Amino acid sequence: MSELSYVGKSFRRKDGPDKVTGKAMYAQDVKLANTLIGRILRSPHPHARIVRIDTARARALPGVKAVITVEDTKGIKHGFVETPRYPPDQEVLARGKVVHVGEEIAAVAAVDQLTAQRALELIEIEYQPLPAVFEPEEAMQPGAPEIHRSHPKYEGPHANIGGNTETAWGDVEKGFAESDYVREDRFECQLRTHGYLEPQATLAHWENDKLNVWTSSMGSFVKRAKLAKTLDLPYSSVRIHKTYVGGTFGGKIDLYSHEYCAARLSMITGRPVQVVASREEIFSAYRHAQPLILEIKTGVKKDGTLVAQRIRAINNAGAYRGSGVVVIFLAWGFTMIPYRIPNLKYEGLSVYTNHTVRAPQRGHGAPKVRLAIESQLDMIAEALGIDPIAIRLRNARGPGERLPNGDDTHNCGLSDCIRLAAERSGFLDKFGRDRKSPPSGTIRRGIGIGVSAYMGGTLIYPNGSGVIVKMNDDGSAVVLTGAIDIGQGSETVISQIVAEELSIGMDDVRIISSDTDTTPQDIGAWISGMTYVTGNAARQAASNARDKLLQVAAEKMGVTVDQLVLKDKIVCHRLDPERRMTYREVIAHSVATRRGDTVIGEGYWRTMRDEANHPSLATTKGRWTENYAFSTQVAEVEVDIETGEARLVKALTVHDCGFPINPALVKGQIDGQISMALGHAFMEEVITKDGYTLNPNWLDYRMPTIHNMAISEDVDVITEQYRVGQPYRSKEVGEGLVSGILAAIANAVYDATGVRLHSTPFTAEKILGGLKRLQYQAKTARQAKTEPVRA
Amino acid sequence: MLEANESTPVTAKRSQSQLISLCVNGEWREVAVKPRLTLVEVIRDSIGLTGTKASCESGACGACTVLLEDRPILACLTLAIECDGKRVQTVEGLAEGGKLSAIQDAFLDQGAVQCGFCTPGMLMSATALLRDCPKPSREEINKALEGNLCRCTGYNAIVDAVLQASGQGVEPVMK
Repeated sequence: MSELSYVGKSFRRKDGPDKVTGKAMYAQDVKLANTLIGRILRSPHPHARIVRIDTARARALPGVKAVITVEDTKGIKHGFVETPRYPPDQEVLARGKVVHVGEEIAAVAAVDQLTAQRALELIEIEYQPLPAVFEPEEAMQPGAPEIHRSHPKYEGPHANIGGNTETAWGDVEKGFAESDYVREDRFECQLRTHGYLEPQATLAHWENDKLNVWTSSMGSFVKRAKLAKTLDLPYSSVRIHKTYVGGTFGGKIDLYSHEYCAARLSMITGRPVQVVASREEIFSAYRHAQPLILEIKTGVKKDGTLVAQRIRAINNAGAYRGSGVVVIFLAWGFTMIPYRIPNLKYEGLSVYTNHTVRAPQRGHGAPKVRLAIESQLDMIAEALGIDPIAIRLRNARGPGERLPNGDDTHNCGLSDCIRLAAERSGFLDKFGRDRKSPPSGTIRRGIGIGVSAYMGGTLIYPNGSGVIVKMNDDGSAVVLTGAIDIGQGSETVISQIVAEELSIGMDDVRIISSDTDTTPQDIGAWISGMTYVTGNAARQAASNARDKLLQVAAEKMGVTVDQLVLKDKIVCHRLDPERRMTYREVIAHSVATRRGDTVIGEGYWRTMRDEANHPSLATTKGRWTENYAFSTQVAEVEVDIETGEARLVKALTVHDCGFPINPALVKGQIDGQISMALGHAFMEEVITKDGYTLNPNWLDYRMPTIHNMAISEDVDVITEQYRVGQPYRSKEVGEGLVSGILAAIANAVYDATGVRLHSTPFTAEKILGGLKRLQYQAKTARQAKTEPVRA
Repeated sequence: MLEANESTPVTAKRSQSQLISLCVNGEWREVAVKPRLTLVEVIRDSIGLTGTKASCESGACGACTVLLEDRPILACLTLAIECDGKRVQTVEGLAEGGKLSAIQDAFLDQGAVQCGFCTPGMLMSATALLRDCPKPSREEINKALEGNLCRCTGYNAIVDAVLQASGQGVEPVMK
């Protein structure tokens, strides 16, 4: 194997210089002359009929150029999923009824912010409030206020069911009967939000029958598809331009009403229209993550072997389908991947409530599922007198295992991850130490472990990526890719791959990205597959150009291709390096002898070449991906037993992400996920009352600051190789690592205090309450012991 | 809530702008500003330097941090007219003659930049810190950057970047 020069190495970001000098253009930075300001009128009610809308006074206000309601749209619905079972369910503006606070009802375009704001105030709306419901288990009850009818194919008794997923393999009841130990638990989690720093922002300009759009997104081609559809335009009439994106974490995937409104208002006025959401709007009207309720029953043999598991997930899906039916499908996946469980039954319900619509958030259900399973596994281990490492090693999947959905675990490195995590953290030496012999003072330390696995590149529109590599006359290259850099470093990773395949420098690669008119289609930065899917497309495109260079050079030099090697923009004879041609010479020869062929390479990639496009959301049947990543994370926490306050001191992540194209970017993903998970564990919660957000800002929604840093160490269990000209597996590193660590933190809090927490966040109140209960139990146990037994 | 008088819409009013002078990144500029405009609006919209970011517009995230007379301030909470006659430095003013400053370089070397949206504000806070305190301790770094939120990096790489830029034995992790 030849030595690698560019992949597997930590190159600085390609977009770095622009980002540290202020040159990087985000959606809100794009300025066009004559731009109007768009603003959205939102529902003040969680559930109400719209009796009347009168926009006349707003339209009459000087400076107002357009006002739209649903009557000014074509009434074409859209949805996060659009399948025969789950057809699009949401209009771009409310029609006849609002179902959550903040739902978009009308939009205005005006000459400035204040005029636009004043116009919103002049729109008169008469509402007839309806009873509302916010908790999924209340919304499920027959007789609960009906937000939407239950899904026509749902056969159960519940109301407001937006969708359900049911699947099983083995015989779970038989499994429980054969188990030596069975326990049931219930876990809940809070409503969290993405916390992207860049606000949602869109600039749209309709000019010469063409809609030009700059918008903060996670995938330009998804945005184009949904905008074109709702505006009833051909795709060729909509161009999503490249912008840098200031964080997304799942929150900028779907079509948002403001994007449609900016476009429609521009089409009406013929002027550019910019809409920038305020932070308060983002907190109180935009999409947050999905709080799940998880009921879990698990049966094991005495030695800790998992025999049966039954899981029921209930999702508070908000007022439209959103990604609610996806999270209950994915939750199944996060259940089945890491451990061998012969009998498993899963039911997921997505329940409409009068909350804002939901989006994926990094991990898309995995943190909650892994918290439940990994917490319960520790409880089981303790009951059986097995240590947390042994029970995980006993059940961990190995390489080449067939998953219930037909997928293969390939070079799964999970057992190595568990072993290394235990070794590096000194787990078994530390575990239980403070519980066995409590130190003096009020600080208790604990250690906990969590396992997770995550899939990458699962098929969803547009299902694949294409890349074009154009050689320049001097041997440098321009890469056209639809990939969008949301901070993960896609432009850098793609450059490294192209540089490696072509043996040209990083500075020789120029990336043109994420523009629906000039770059090939791309899957987008939202199913953890860009480095794998777009990366392999880039590899293939560069490899295609490389083959052409070699053929032309071989022809000119009178040798065969396999006698040649490429090195630093030179093609030379393997045995006689003096026989050589520069890329410049090769390309000139190609133009001269191949009817002007300037050497252009093309590549494309899709996960699983022969599978149908979608696994079934309802039954989970159908393969998902060929790309599973595995991880084990260890948390060390400190808990003050006087105040109940806990903090993550140190996190260790041992992961199998396949082949790391850029180890420092991998590390950046890990550190960011540790930070996000500690926010999930200890700090963050969107607090709502009757559908209104009570803490719509960062002073009251506490996100980790620099004072909440944890030490983050990592070990990469590398299970794949990169070979020039060959497909590679990079697996996944951008989402899955928010999960095991959350469970590890919960297990570490238990290890420190004996307090088992069944809901996030792990607040001081909950920990203190748990400590008080333990004290009370200890006291009553002592009393019971000292009281004489009466005969 | 924004205020506007119903009988006299904003756009029908005569401009109430005032002319102010700002020395932005070493160049004096005259800008007509309405009294209600904040410094971040004037820097981004009137002067056209969009490197400074508007994120929360309530002083909670630090993305809009610029240096006013060498002190880091939140440009979203500062009225532009209060800055008349003063020196403002933004992220565009950090590189000199096309050469990145030590802290800009260190951010790239340490992987302290991901999405990049907090980066301009972070760099300005860090620049002010390093001017006052050439070898800051971790505590001093935490104190100086506590008002700047970052959602991508977990802050570890940012702290390392400040340590690298101040020559405290932290080596680049990226090349």
